[in-house]
Amino acid sequence: MEELFWVLLIGAAVLWTAVIGAAVYAQKRQVDPSLERQARWFIIWGGAVIPTLLVGGLLAWGMVILRDITSDTGDLTVRVDGERWWWRVTYEGPEGDVVTANEIRIPVGQTALFRLTADDVIHSFWVPALGGKMDMIPGRETTLALTPQEVGNWGGLCAEFCGGAHALMRFDAIVMEPGDFEAWLAAEAAPAQVSEDDPGFAVFQEEGCGACHAVRGTDAAGPVGPDLTHVAAREKLGAGVYEMTPQNMALWITETHEMKPDIDMPPYPDLDGARLDALVAFLMSLDHAE
Amino acid sequence: MTRESDKQPGGYGPPGDAPRLIGQGSVWIMVAAPTIWALHFVASYTFAATWCAKAGPSLAEPRWIIAMMGVICVALIGWLALLAVRRYGGVFVIFEEITESSERARDRFIGHVSLLLCILSAVAIVFTALPGFFFSTC
Ligand code: HEC
Ligand SMILES: [Cu+2]
Repeated sequence: MEELFWVLLIGAAVLWTAVIGAAVYAQKRQVDPSLERQARWFIIWGGAVIPTLLVGGLLAWGMVILRDITSDTGDLTVRVDGERWWWRVTYEGPEGDVVTANEIRIPVGQTALFRLTADDVIHSFWVPALGGKMDMIPGRETTLALTPQEVGNWGGLCAEFCGGAHALMRFDAIVMEPGDFEAWLAAEAAPAQVSEDDPGFAVFQEEGCGACHAVRGTDAAGPVGPDLTHVAAREKLGAGVYEMTPQNMALWITETHEMKPDIDMPPYPDLDGARLDALVAFLMSLDHAE
Repeated sequence: MTRESDKQPGGYGPPGDAPRLIGQGSVWIMVAAPTIWALHFVASYTFAATWCAKAGPSLAEPRWIIAMMGVICVALIGWLALLAVRRYGGVFVIFEEITESSERARDRFIGHVSLLLCILSAVAIVFTALPGFFFSTC
């Protein structure tokens, strides 16, 4: 991708200089009728034949690049479904699907194939630093293959206006060493460790959070909102928007629509005191087992 | 070298002979090549879209049909280019302006324009068909 940038930049600089140079030369030079034939050939080659070949060549090259990023093979397949206004993420792991949300992790140097869909409106999946951007269209599957070269956290976002909280529809795209990635995926695949008498989990059930959210390993299996099995293992809260801290978690529950307008989750302003603390503690405990 | 256009200065064939659709004096040759390009364009896209909707994600087989359509259309245009040269006396580059008001000059002008349009249309057809060679999926 970077190579493409340099080729285009240098190519454009050369062409620009040549065209402006020719214009200046033509201005300076006396009219010489005997050169008319030559001039015509110059126009035909410089104005028609060479541009056609160049554009044809660039078109072909562009398509080769596009073919690579839309290819349908990869070392790893990740399905991402665009929802209003968050991301449902499913890794096709060695031992079956691993469902998570709002964070993408992929191993460095390997090609990750993203199979993209959308729930009800069009979104667009974009990690600028990794290149390529692909629309997510309801009723269709689009693909995007990314091969990250450097370890790091490269932010991603929705790049197609999709309604109220579009600007807050982000995610962390974290590129890891392959070994770290394997460990992370295994931890993510494991069910949550929730003890029967966890007071926070009791609040979670009483308030009906489980109707929308799934916590694998418990009987909460709601499909409406993000999977919360390992929510505290994510770097950010609310689709890449807030730091994952107990304070933000509490605000997310009580002042939901101040944190993120329009979203499909109802606020729980009446939760406070010990019940809220217990719920937040429970959610923050949904981390990876050490 | 004698050209067909030289043999009949200003004539449209013997009396009673129906004028040719593509022959001296007729301007249809100028629109023919771009029309072939337009038909090829619509046909390629309709075909690919229908195939993708009905037959599914692989474009491996229909790309041959797309290629064949391209070859046929380019061949047709090649034939038109030949007619532009033979019947109209069209040339690729005109070195002296055509200002004379005569059948012969008009024919040469039509031939020249048609020839250039043929080249343009052929390039456009190649550009239209090109993606078919790079992408094997819908
Ligand atoms: C009507 C369904 C619904 C109910 C009930 C609901 N939520 Fe949500 N929740 C959602 C949706 C939808 C989102 C995603 C919002 C967004 O980011 O656009 C969400 C997001 C969240 C997130 C952020 C997840 C992440 O990946 O950052 C947390 C945490 C959360 N909910 C906790 C709760 C808790 C705790 C309760 C119960 C007190 C609850 N939810 C009740 C629908 C619901
Ligand atoms: Cu959006």
